[in-house]
Amino acid sequence: MSKIINVSELKKSYGSKEVLKGVDFSCESGQIVGLLGPNGCGKTTLIKILTGLIKDHSGMVRIDNEEPGAYTKSIIAYLPEKSYLPDWMRPCDALDYFADFYKDFDRNKAEKMIDKFGLDMKQRLKTMSKGQQEKLRLALVLCRRAKLYILDEPLGGVDPAARSHILELIIENHEEDSTVLISTHLISDVEYIFDRVLMINNGQVVIDAHVNEIKDKGKTVEEVFKEVFSYAW
Amino acid sequence: MLGKLIKHEFKHSARYVTAIYACTAAVLLVMLFALLVKITWLSIAASIVLYFAGILVVVMTLVSVIKNFYDTLYTNQGYLSFTLPVKCGNLLASKVIVSFVWIILSVIALAVIYFIVYQNALAQTDGEIGTILDMLKESGVLDMLPSGAAIAKLLVLIVVLLLLAILTFVGFVYFSVTLANTRLLQKHPKIFGFLIFFGSYAAANSIGAKLTYSLPMSFSVTGDGLKFAFASMESSESVFSFGIGGTIFMALVAVAMLFATGWIMEHKVNIK
Repeated sequence: MSKIINVSELKKSYGSKEVLKGVDFSCESGQIVGLLGPNGCGKTTLIKILTGLIKDHSGMVRIDNEEPGAYTKSIIAYLPEKSYLPDWMRPCDALDYFADFYKDFDRNKAEKMIDKFGLDMKQRLKTMSKGQQEKLRLALVLCRRAKLYILDEPLGGVDPAARSHILELIIENHEEDSTVLISTHLISDVEYIFDRVLMINNGQVVIDAHVNEIKDKGKTVEEVFKEVFSYAW
Repeated sequence: MLGKLIKHEFKHSARYVTAIYACTAAVLLVMLFALLVKITWLSIAASIVLYFAGILVVVMTLVSVIKNFYDTLYTNQGYLSFTLPVKCGNLLASKVIVSFVWIILSVIALAVIYFIVYQNALAQTDGEIGTILDMLKESGVLDMLPSGAAIAKLLVLIVVLLLLAILTFVGFVYFSVTLANTRLLQKHPKIFGFLIFFGSYAAANSIGAKLTYSLPMSFSVTGDGLKFAFASMESSESVFSFGIGGTIFMALVAVAMLFATGWIMEHKVNIK
């Protein structure tokens, strides 16, 4: 399997605070990887570096053997934690936008998914509920045939009933040979879809394991997480 | 990709300025209606409103250029803009081009509005202004002005200088906003953006003002036309003489600032 993400000795500081202290890991194509860690451990910073939103870091970052830039952005479908669409946009405007800039965007699929979600194509985002906005953003990301999907807290703003539905959507809609990197703190809800987990603590990768290895030890991902981060409770 | 960026930039930024254009157009219609049905007080009131609306169109356009740049790059929308599969240079170029177009449009709108207000004033005063002009012509005052050909050339030069002034404004604003959103300053981006803009603009302007007088590059308007000379404004004998060294200097600084902005966006951007 080829490596879609390759990170070595990655460091990033905010002033005197070192957030990433030499992160090393790589991801192979075709995996669903959980990026786990307590609040403030550096998950979002790592994701921002992978997606090219933060440039002033040291160490090596390669996405499909390229430094973050225009090419890597064309193969990454990124769902940020924040609401990034302007509130005047309607779903139809957002589809136009994505169709114009991403060659891998499947507009027909997106229209069907938006219809399935019960969203009105002409309704402005500012009049939508948070849940509706989140569904739209998810549809935009999942309707790309990307090599790498990076989802930052995709279940953060949705109710427990909708979580399993969203996870099913992620499993059904991501490209088979693509990699999905999911950052979340809702481990029990999502761990069954992971092939592999990366746990970050104090700016370093402390656990990098296949889920099968964890299961072979008779544990769940959540149990391992609680062991590693027990100080946090 | 640049074409698509420009298309979406227009779509996005149009939202900020269309309202003010629509209001101005409505006032204009009221004025024309008042002229048609000869309601003098309404026509005069609409003229006064239009006079201020003309200024407001330009001011609102400049504000919207700044707001649009900040909103689309350095608020949550930056997550969308900076993850597009385009180079930051293209992203910046699209914003510069679209801002340029909006500002030029606003200046054209201002000129058209003032022309209409002037025509309305002529109509209201039953040609009194025209009579005043005739009197000035008879007294020979207007003969002291340059010829029509010289004025035409002067207008072309003013347009060129105006374009350079717009470039200068856009360059200084984009640089200030971008620098204020780097890691060290982004805790208070609005305050730092304001300080950087006025600080750098004042510093560059004071140098530019000196260069305007001292650099041996100036235009003189004479009865024969518009003449360029490698002579400083100080040494020129013409009353209608102005140096262009300062304007060229400011435009060059603005271009350098745009390149610096592109570099910061490419290498130092830190989206919150």
